[in-house]
Amino acid sequence: MKSVIVSLVFCFFLNVAFTQKDLSISGYIYDAKSGESIIGAKVFDDSLKVGAVTNTYGFYSFTLPPGLHNIIFNAFGLDPQNIEINLTKDTTININLSSTDLQLDEVQVNANKGEFIKSSQLGQIELEVEKIKTLPAFMGEVDIIKTIQLLPGVSSASEGGQGFYVRGGGPDQNLVLLDEATVYNASHLFGFFSVFNVDAIKSVNLIKGGMPANFGGRLSSVLEVNMNEGNNKSFHIKGGIGAIASRLTFEGPLKKDKGSFIVSARRTYIDAIMKVAISDTSPFFGTSYYFYDMNAKFNYKLGPKDKIFLSGYYGRDQFIYANKKDDFSVKMPWGNGIASARWNHVFNPKLFLNTSLTFTDYQFSFGSNQDEFQFKLQSGIRDYGAKMDFSYFPNNRHKIKYGANYTFHIYTPTNVSAKQDTIVFDTGEIQRILGHESGIYIMDEFAVNEKLLINAGLRYSMYQHTGPFKRFVKDDISNPDSVIQYNKGDLIKSYGGFEPRLSMRYLFKNYSSFKAGYSFNYQYVHLASISAVSLPTDIWYPTTDIAKPEQGFQISAGYFKELFKNKFEGSIEVYYKGLNNLVEFKDGAQPADNVSDNTDNLLTYGKGRSYGAEFFLKKISGNLTGWVGYTWAKTERIFAEINDGNPFPAKYDRRHDLSIVGSYKLNERWTFGAAFIFATGNTLTLPSSYYTQDGEVVFKFGSRNSTRMADYHRLDVSATWYCKTEKTIINPETGENITVKKKFKSNWSFGIYNIYNRANPYFLYVDNDGDLLKGDFKITVKQVTLFPIIPSVTWNFEF
Amino acid sequence: MKKIFYLVFILPVVFSCTKEVKIDIPDYEEQIVVDGNIETGQPPFVILSRSKDIYAPTDLNSFLNGFISGAEVYVNDGTTTYQLDEVCSDELPPGFESFAAEIFGVPESEVSNYHLCAYTKLDGSIVGEVGKTYTLTVNFEGKTYTAETKIVNPTPLDSTYFKLANNATDKGFSYAQLTDPPGFGDSYFWEAKRINKNSDGQEKDSYFTPTYAPVFDDQFINDITFEFYFENPVRDPDLPSEYRGYFKVGDTVVIKFSKLDKDVYEYMDSKYIQLQSGGSPFSTPTNVKSNIKGGALGVWAGFSPSYDTIVCQP
Repeated sequence: MKSVIVSLVFCFFLNVAFTQKDLSISGYIYDAKSGESIIGAKVFDDSLKVGAVTNTYGFYSFTLPPGLHNIIFNAFGLDPQNIEINLTKDTTININLSSTDLQLDEVQVNANKGEFIKSSQLGQIELEVEKIKTLPAFMGEVDIIKTIQLLPGVSSASEGGQGFYVRGGGPDQNLVLLDEATVYNASHLFGFFSVFNVDAIKSVNLIKGGMPANFGGRLSSVLEVNMNEGNNKSFHIKGGIGAIASRLTFEGPLKKDKGSFIVSARRTYIDAIMKVAISDTSPFFGTSYYFYDMNAKFNYKLGPKDKIFLSGYYGRDQFIYANKKDDFSVKMPWGNGIASARWNHVFNPKLFLNTSLTFTDYQFSFGSNQDEFQFKLQSGIRDYGAKMDFSYFPNNRHKIKYGANYTFHIYTPTNVSAKQDTIVFDTGEIQRILGHESGIYIMDEFAVNEKLLINAGLRYSMYQHTGPFKRFVKDDISNPDSVIQYNKGDLIKSYGGFEPRLSMRYLFKNYSSFKAGYSFNYQYVHLASISAVSLPTDIWYPTTDIAKPEQGFQISAGYFKELFKNKFEGSIEVYYKGLNNLVEFKDGAQPADNVSDNTDNLLTYGKGRSYGAEFFLKKISGNLTGWVGYTWAKTERIFAEINDGNPFPAKYDRRHDLSIVGSYKLNERWTFGAAFIFATGNTLTLPSSYYTQDGEVVFKFGSRNSTRMADYHRLDVSATWYCKTEKTIINPETGENITVKKKFKSNWSFGIYNIYNRANPYFLYVDNDGDLLKGDFKITVKQVTLFPIIPSVTWNFEF
Repeated sequence: MKKIFYLVFILPVVFSCTKEVKIDIPDYEEQIVVDGNIETGQPPFVILSRSKDIYAPTDLNSFLNGFISGAEVYVNDGTTTYQLDEVCSDELPPGFESFAAEIFGVPESEVSNYHLCAYTKLDGSIVGEVGKTYTLTVNFEGKTYTAETKIVNPTPLDSTYFKLANNATDKGFSYAQLTDPPGFGDSYFWEAKRINKNSDGQEKDSYFTPTYAPVFDDQFINDITFEFYFENPVRDPDLPSEYRGYFKVGDTVVIKFSKLDKDVYEYMDSKYIQLQSGGSPFSTPTNVKSNIKGGALGVWAGFSPSYDTIVCQP
């Protein structure tokens, strides 16, 4: 709490410190059709070439000298608007941009022109949700995380895997934010789909290098996902019916031009299919799986200076496995509940404040019954957060952001209960770990001159592990030793440190720029994974008195260029990343019990390093758009207790990673998409030798991650057919045929996943079969492949 | 308890397809493997072999040629050191063929065709005693391997009985009640064999078989009295599939319930974890622990058994 007060005082003094000089132009930019604010829209003075880009809330502010100006407002997919203004005082201009039937790509080019090379941010990629929808989608479910995995520097965990790895960092090192609330597990169906329903998503922004100082708490990347706000002009329904899931969205005004809402829901029907597929005489009858999720958001303009937003997400996965033959069953539900309340306030044209209250709840449970033995494991995280972010625009050379945040974490890493018949086993008390995380930051994007732009930031973060808590002190895992009991409110351990962030851009004359950056981050939570693929069974474990916070730094540099009259964007980026205090489970450790033990006693700590080069060429205009991304990278881990302290490759260490993604608009009715992926195979640990003990075959594993699976490659294709958007009717007054737009729009999306049916490795295992003494004994290495060629069809509609 | 946790890892493989591949698995090095034990009232018994590359031939000949002879093996009981005798299958006194066949798992008729050696002391000069610590020393090809194990105090079961399985009339499980002594660190190992006779007059099982998850320690059950049950571990090919894992009404079952020292428990526990996870990548790769020093694999295990007999009648 103390840290929050300090931060607020700090923010207040900062406000006073800056004085106003120039005249400001500020305001919001909206989509005229829906009334939604637009993120990333550009506003600039045509002759002076100075301007601003709207923030996450559609707000912009910049300064101009007094006098006559021609201001241009411009956004992706919408017509630009010019406004002549004689500036005599600070002025607010709120603009509604509308779309005509202008060629979409032309508009897009205008809107995006120059931002790619001009911004000081390295390794940042914004994805247009509408574009994602035309790319091939696995089982017809459009997925933003799948698309992100096609970008250079970002790789997937494994076939269909949802966990994503950015520049050699772990899947836990990505700060995934949905309307500013943290998402701990962004996946459904063991990671084959993400929790983000595209119908409810407005924008996606990935920062993989040089994290700005307003973000913290993770080492590798920020994935900012913003939900749609809902149409505040009229009511609309849209949805889709697909092979495995359907979705429905309803949006409309709460009060016209003042406020709106959007409610979106999605559910799979794999369970219904399984019910038909598995007869009631089968031992597997009752095995089922489904997930559902719901998004809701409300916003309301309280006045010209104030706006509030309420956002919520709730999703659950339920997996049930039944095997009557062995009298065995498993129930595994998991999911997230996320809520955020935000208040935007414009103090004056130069000062913007967003205040957020966030709530995150992630729960995972695994229950099994075998004969009379019952076992249950639960794990969860609950976060209560608050933050204030100020944006201050003193003049055109400085854009300053500062703020503070605080999160109260309640972690329940593992809570086990077990009973047999009527006997309840002693599985220890539920262990909860309480953590207080806070941070303050200031950053300034400073234009030294027209060519040199510097973004310097400093963040100070703190973490306190507090009681109640029971620490089992171990000198040896299997022998219970002394116990330290901390009471409620006791400060057990405190950590903190400065996190400097620096990035710069130098603009060359030939539409190109050089950028470089350095960032240092702390991360106060670990994800301990016992499996080679990312599963919901992975355990989030916070910083404690003995589990130290992860630290990471990254140095990156890149050359960015616009090519062929701005039809292409090309970049080359290189990076080196160092990571410290990473965790792994000790060899053979299983997070199954809490009796006289803490999970962090089972962890071992080490370092990581990663370096690589990324090449990216994107075609942004014309009927054919898309990109080619190639990454060369190396990622290693060094743990004193693993592999005798020698460096070993991370399981997602990939030397080569190539993606070719294209979307071709043939005409108004047909759009085609294709994506090709090639990646060096993942590593894993397999037995390198075997021996016999008491008649049983026992394996001895090779060094950690020493085996590499076969290369991964795949081609997916898609086609989208848009039903006619216009119809001809007879004008009752004139009797002439006229063309009117249909209110009901729909399209059919066809896709083929893995078109040449490549058997990509999901994992390998060593199988032994037969009897040693009968001579039919055999040891084989087997490869498991998940997805063969899979066609899909989805019908989407909107009215 | 741990076995249940593994079952979750099998689950995502529902849609998958599997094929055999040949892929480079580095890091193979040949190591000596010790499989030695000493139990209350029995002489020490040691078999030595070599580990093999994962792609090495797996035929019977290659398997049997993996056993080692020509080593010097010593056991010290705290006061005296005894050199164990090398006893080889091709030089056995008549009558010992079935014993050797069981140990090496070779058909009785084949025993004399191979040179399979074990190290033991059959003259009665050294037999396992409760409370004693035994040190093993193996000298082979210029290298020395050592290990230590203790025969701890036994903890017999309070009682044992048979109970029918749910909805069954002629099959069930073996149940037991155990009172764990105060203090952590007690470890147990459960084996069983059926001694009722077959039609040929032989006992159904000639040796004890450990159950599916035969070892447990007192982490969950320290200082309490509790009941538990085990299945029939014998993989009897003559048993119809619906009876696999069950004892039949009419069986007479001997339970061998051994206590282990800590290192042997860790060896056993890691071995059974590995056997159950079956090389699955969904678990951390678990190498079987060893209490052998000097770079060999395997175990030198002291067992402290107590025995119970269950007559399977509902």
